[in-house]
Amino acid sequence: MSQTQSLLSLQNLSRQINSNGKDRSIVDQVSFEFERGRIYNILGPSGSGKSSLLRLINRLDEATSGDVLFHGTNITDLDPCQLRRQIGYLFQVPHLFEGTVRDNVRHTCPDITADRVNQLAERIQIEPSILDNPVDNLSEGEKQRVAIARLLATNPEVILLDEPTSALDPARTETIEKLVCKIVSEDGITTLMVTHNPEQAVRMGGETLLLVDGCLVEYGSSSDVVNNPQTEQGRRYREKKLS
Amino acid sequence: MTTPGFTEVFLAFVLVAISIVIGRWWKIPVAKDMALGSVRAFVQLIAVGYALEFIFGLQSTPVVLGVLIVMTLVGAQTAAGRVKKLPNAFLLNFSAMLAGSVITIATMYVCNIITLEARYIIPLGGMIIGNSMNASALTIERLSSDIRSNRLPIETSLSLGKTWRAAAHKYMRSAATAGMISILNFMKTVGIVALPGAMTGMILAGADPLEAVLLQIIVGYMLLSAVTITSVVAVELTVRKFFTTHHQLRHES
Repeated sequence: MSQTQSLLSLQNLSRQINSNGKDRSIVDQVSFEFERGRIYNILGPSGSGKSSLLRLINRLDEATSGDVLFHGTNITDLDPCQLRRQIGYLFQVPHLFEGTVRDNVRHTCPDITADRVNQLAERIQIEPSILDNPVDNLSEGEKQRVAIARLLATNPEVILLDEPTSALDPARTETIEKLVCKIVSEDGITTLMVTHNPEQAVRMGGETLLLVDGCLVEYGSSSDVVNNPQTEQGRRYREKKLS
Repeated sequence: MTTPGFTEVFLAFVLVAISIVIGRWWKIPVAKDMALGSVRAFVQLIAVGYALEFIFGLQSTPVVLGVLIVMTLVGAQTAAGRVKKLPNAFLLNFSAMLAGSVITIATMYVCNIITLEARYIIPLGGMIIGNSMNASALTIERLSSDIRSNRLPIETSLSLGKTWRAAAHKYMRSAATAGMISILNFMKTVGIVALPGAMTGMILAGADPLEAVLLQIIVGYMLLSAVTITSVVAVELTVRKFFTTHHQLRHES
């Protein structure tokens, strides 16, 4: 695929940090092209650079070398605030701001219409009646869904989800997974979802990128990467997960 | 009241002795601090007294300004000690204190409320710099600790497309308020809960109470201005240490 057609492209992306006086690569020469309206699972063991990769794409951190291109333009040439409205990021532990559900949905776009807020509430399967309730009273699953609605309020083209179900029970996990799939298939939003669970990657479908020690070691359809890894690191990761 | 001399000061030392005895009786382990503190206060203040007498006698504006700069430098060093983790803490405190002090003193001078005579400018400058020092230290300390302990909410705002200023606004406001809180409390209770030092000193020295009150009001307004400017400048300078120009929260902050 040519650069101009690609929605989001990573080119030899690296980030080094200084840990205990030594430079260490937490993302190492990652290259990949993400297409519009698809889901990509970012899989890998703890500390493999999954969250760091999302932070680089959202430009919360600066790459040491390499580029992230959005619509063919290097993100360093774009206004970071505008970029982040187009590429939303959901943290592993979502933070809701003091106030009501409605306040949170309108956090980034205070001028958003009441109709649009209701539409978003419907999208995340939250009763419009609780829109004016304080967020403190919400369950973890509801908080996660409100955070997703807040993310969608800016009409992003890409969303980055950092282990959105890690703190949820199986029933709530299923609700979020279905919601994310709907966002991808119906709204056509490209979604990059970090997970440490290979089964979840298979359930979500789409493509999976396997990161080990900051390197992209394997990618392809989710079932292939999880069930039939082609690389030594991929096989080792699978064995470890199965054992 | 008799005009105090060294004899009166030594006699007043009876009060220190009473305090030490009470401390020992109650087994509060402060007797040593009390004794040392009293001696230290005596030595420091006597030294300052002689120094002021010498400076007042010189009647030199550059010397007066030099004294004010030295006071600000020492104050900034003391304030920086409270925020050791922050790089360039001395420079931050010094700049904020200098802004608060210079703008306040210059305004008073332009309005013809004060002259640059050492007799007025040094005591007033001392009060201004002392209050600015506390405001600066409190503001910077609060802002630093709030930003460090609220990384998630701040990064959440940034990740949603807010600017660093919008993401940190809540903490900037709260830090500036922390710096101003003591002068605001002072303004609310002055004359009711306690009679302030400048006014008390003037009345004790035989000045007309109304004259003393008017001076105290000016001092109060002066401190309010100095503290407000210092706090706001401290916030504006400090917050930039935590963010990059690309609206990123620094990791090492």
